[in-house]
Amino acid sequence: MQHYREIIDAVSLMILPLILVGLPVYGLIRRVPVYEAFVDGAKEGFTVAVRIIPYLVAILFAIAMFRASGAMDMLIELLRTPMAAIGIPPEILPMAIVRPLSGSGSTGVLLDLQKQFGSNSLITQIAGTIYGSSETTFYVIAVYFGSVGIKKTRHALPAGLIADVAGVFLATYIVKWLLW
Amino acid sequence: MMNYIWAGLIVAALGFALWFDGTEITTGRYANGNPLPATIEIPATAATSDPRTLVQVSFDADTFAGHFHRSPLSKSERDSLTVAGELTRGSTGYELRLTSDNLPVPLNEIRAFHDDTNKSLRATLRGLPADLQPGGKATRWTVQLELPSVRFVKLKAITKAAFDFANTAVTLAIGLIGVLALWLGMMKIAEASGLIAAFVSIVQPFLRLLFPTIPKDHPALGMIALNLAANMLGLGNAATPMGLKAMEELQKLNKTDDTATDPMVMLLALNTAGVQLLPSATLVAIMGLSSVRLFLPILLVTGLCAVIAFFATRILGALPVFRRTNPDLSQVPTTGG
Repeated sequence: MQHYREIIDAVSLMILPLILVGLPVYGLIRRVPVYEAFVDGAKEGFTVAVRIIPYLVAILFAIAMFRASGAMDMLIELLRTPMAAIGIPPEILPMAIVRPLSGSGSTGVLLDLQKQFGSNSLITQIAGTIYGSSETTFYVIAVYFGSVGIKKTRHALPAGLIADVAGVFLATYIVKWLLW
Repeated sequence: MMNYIWAGLIVAALGFALWFDGTEITTGRYANGNPLPATIEIPATAATSDPRTLVQVSFDADTFAGHFHRSPLSKSERDSLTVAGELTRGSTGYELRLTSDNLPVPLNEIRAFHDDTNKSLRATLRGLPADLQPGGKATRWTVQLELPSVRFVKLKAITKAAFDFANTAVTLAIGLIGVLALWLGMMKIAEASGLIAAFVSIVQPFLRLLFPTIPKDHPALGMIALNLAANMLGLGNAATPMGLKAMEELQKLNKTDDTATDPMVMLLALNTAGVQLLPSATLVAIMGLSSVRLFLPILLVTGLCAVIAFFATRILGALPVFRRTNPDLSQVPTTGG
């Protein structure tokens, strides 16, 4: 396990400088006007970022209102009993609910659980697995679709949320099975 | 779908906020208008010339719990009942500012409600003699604190959250500009030097299984592969620009302006499932060494999630409600309706 981490760590450390140096050098060999090409491509960075703004504002402010309203606590109370019945500790519900909604929010939840239960508890390890194995679904949808102006997202959100829910169950059962 | 979930979030926020504030008024969580009994201790060292006197304020645990209609306090809550304050004499009487960082619940909520910087809680003081002369020896007084009243906490909170996060969204987007420019510039070099085309021919046998509707040799396949690879290696910085570049290529194949195509939804699903070979740096920072134990579980969960995301996308995409809006199928009007 330690070796696996070291290898992946080394690869991800080396790959970026390799790309950043390798691409222009390769371009020069192929007689591409590298500087001009780079500036041409980089120009898009600004327009793409600006194009995302309305989508991001729409998603983030709605989620922030929902979180500030205390609705989440209510949802957690409601789900507590049914979740416990199928073997999911109720303490991880905040993580399960916040993870697809907010990246910084779920980081906060994980920190909180770590403080409350310690790093070696079942709760923190399940929550850490959920945190590590999924992305902030709403943010990804806003940014990716926003960048090309897609407003009708069709089944992207349901599909993403199905995977998120599956992730919560899988994380719970796999952590219990492998580590406990 | 997005319309309903988005509007649902906002409406639910308002509904819950009103419900919460309503119950708060009936249960008297903040005991608005009732003075709170307290004991203040004025130290012997207080200087007579200084209009502000530093004092210690303490509350009796049972009186405190009863006053705010709460169940008996826990051990740590009992310990937080002695706080620092600042006493000032004004024209209308004494004013007390509670300046401790850790105020007991619900005093901290009252403070947050009235002071945006969350520094001090002001209260009017009753029960001190008007000609009080600090100095000489330490004195203790039993007093009544008149706290400012608090109503519609959640309503105020959701409004503040909406405006705060509108700003956050812009900050986030602007923060992306540099990284986006760097990677999109690099990608342009890769494109111009023919690397992307070469890469496409390597990955397409596999990727065309996931994205059957993308034409053969299309550059979108290369960008998708780069995006997925960057995700797996935990290169978040590079993954987003490559993903956006992939979306741009896919948009070129889109017959409509504003409706997602099947391959776009698939790319999104694989990205939200977040296939990762390596736990993110944040996870390691929070959980320390025990995050090492999570490598295998995370790898399994993230892999299985990607498989589930793939099938969920395929199955949902075949449902009539989503098929009807598929831009690639001819019965769709070319512009969104």
